[in-house]
Amino acid sequence: MEKKFFQTSIKDSLFTGLIALALFGPIVGLRTVAKNEVLEVHPKWFIVLIIVIVCAVGRFLTNLYVYNRDQKTGIQSSIGKSISNFLDTKGYQIALTAIIFSVIFPFLPFTDRYLMDIAIMMLTYIMLGWGLNIVIGLAGLLDLGYVAFYAVGAYSYALFAIHFGWSFWICLPIAGIFAAMFGVLLGFPVLRLRGDYLAIVTLAFGEMIRILLLNWYQLTKGPDGLTGIPRPSFFGLPFKSFPDEGEQTFHTFFGVEYDPMQRIIFLYYLILVLALITNLFTIKIRRLPIGRAWEALREDEIACKSLGVNPRNTKLTAFAIGAMFGGFAGSFFATRQAFISPESFTFIESAIIVAIVVLGGMGSQTGVVLATVFLIGLIEVFRDFESYRMIAFGGAMVLIMIFRPRGILATRKPTITLEKSSSK
Amino acid sequence: MSQKLLDVENLTMKFGGLVAIDNLSFSADKDKITSIIGPNGAGKTTVFNCLTGFYKATAGSMFLNKENERLNLRKFSDFKVAQKAGVARTFQNIRLFPQMSVLENLMVAQHNKLMDASGFTILGLFNSPSFVKKEKEAVEISKYWLDIIGLTHRADDDAGDLPYGDQRKLEIVRAMCINPHLLCLDEPAAGLNAKESAELNKLLLFIKNEKKTGILLIEHDMSVVMEISDHVVVLNYGKKIFQGSAKETKNSPEVIEAYLGTEE
Repeated sequence: MEKKFFQTSIKDSLFTGLIALALFGPIVGLRTVAKNEVLEVHPKWFIVLIIVIVCAVGRFLTNLYVYNRDQKTGIQSSIGKSISNFLDTKGYQIALTAIIFSVIFPFLPFTDRYLMDIAIMMLTYIMLGWGLNIVIGLAGLLDLGYVAFYAVGAYSYALFAIHFGWSFWICLPIAGIFAAMFGVLLGFPVLRLRGDYLAIVTLAFGEMIRILLLNWYQLTKGPDGLTGIPRPSFFGLPFKSFPDEGEQTFHTFFGVEYDPMQRIIFLYYLILVLALITNLFTIKIRRLPIGRAWEALREDEIACKSLGVNPRNTKLTAFAIGAMFGGFAGSFFATRQAFISPESFTFIESAIIVAIVVLGGMGSQTGVVLATVFLIGLIEVFRDFESYRMIAFGGAMVLIMIFRPRGILATRKPTITLEKSSSK
Repeated sequence: MSQKLLDVENLTMKFGGLVAIDNLSFSADKDKITSIIGPNGAGKTTVFNCLTGFYKATAGSMFLNKENERLNLRKFSDFKVAQKAGVARTFQNIRLFPQMSVLENLMVAQHNKLMDASGFTILGLFNSPSFVKKEKEAVEISKYWLDIIGLTHRADDDAGDLPYGDQRKLEIVRAMCINPHLLCLDEPAAGLNAKESAELNKLLLFIKNEKKTGILLIEHDMSVVMEISDHVVVLNYGKKIFQGSAKETKNSPEVIEAYLGTEE
């Protein structure tokens, strides 16, 4: 038995080495260099040899220790299990710790401008993830064009703020309503679609909005983007280093020194509050009839119809409410950047948000946070190694899918439970 | 007019050239169990799909007589049959919400009532007392039904984790949670063992006698059909070949020839 296993392992690793040779031989081994206007081939067989050996030996070792089910030394059985167990049971504690940490975060000693910017970006993605979680996680509608609502929110905020001079707190709900309207607009034609077909249409919708923004020059200034979007003020008190004559600003009102960090901290808390509102709203609405109907629709649409649940209204509300939160996040994005252009709303953004929701565990609120911290954090860590970022991103996704195939946090809690008191 | 609960008159359903139901007329009584039987492909499930709005019938009419109104089911499209007319159904292959808890399954069935109470979600968001009260009532109704089928202790488990027989029963009481006038059951005894079939009979008789709900039953399991049916309609190739009491059906030469005869 033992000997046969050993033999197959060797055979398998030699085969792996052969595949590695076929793959890396031409890609890595043959390098062309332009010399004196002539293209010369500089073979690098030594590097190829190293890669092939690494692949073959690595395969052999994984065969021996990871895929060998007789031995309990595999990664999956020890560390992986305990992490999985921790995630499955401690979801609530993780969430509580995360909230406390995020509240005190701006005042921690190591927090600087750079970290604050990353934190704000992460919170924006978390909010988008929570918004999309309503559509994908609860209602089960795979929406690949979510960035469209983000864009609609950002542009409607920017246009209203620039042209009418309305304040952030007036424009925010308007942007949300506009985004929700676009959500319904998308919802109507896709009512009958499901799965892959729905994904394709929503993807197209996202692109349509971006192309519309790019070409409607009179309104959106096309690729030039919108500049001079008003910054948010602290309930009417702007953040300015040199106030105009007689103008109250944040630092004069509170009698403190002006510090550019004040605005950053305000923005941080603003997005934190917006994100937490999104979260609370989702947690609450999940327990209401409409939320339960969303989940039922995800499970079985035909059964829903047989019980008299109106699938049209249910789907449209999911699209509208999900889009509304995308719109809120969009207006925050606009006011934070003070400049928006269609560049910021490409398909890759949608893809990242969908990845966050799926990797977090569909429908799990805490999972979205963990996935965001993981993915966006990873992208930031790899900022200096620009060309390896996407490799790391993809690698991380593959790892999560191997160890947690249903997402980081996949446990679902019932929305309503029967009081156990009577039975005890 | 006779006060039958359901009057189906000259119902015809064609799929292109295929006539699935041909000029079918039958009726079902309130607090009676009417069985529709027939060999495979006789069009039984198609009748259900027409009744419950999943198909649009080609011709004919289906009237549901409530206390003081007469509704033509053909005028309702899919979910409205359950919502407005109060016709509930179950499916041949169980369609529960497998990843939702047993209790949640029953709560979804009471969706329309709760949706109104939640004031299109706005009142519900703020926990208005009227909504909280309605939700409690809905939980009580669910608990009542769970007690009847003996699944109260599993109320918070995923419906998909229940044993097959319990899933069948849960699907039936879920349909009962919409408070229907007519309950259409598509092969409820399929895949059940003898003990489970007996329990099913008890449940159906309870619904008939206590809830005064008319039951329309498609079934292959003759022990169920013969024991509890008040009235049997036999279909073959989309046509009604016989109707009568269970006893009459058993002895009818047409039925034996078309249906029971093929069994042996």
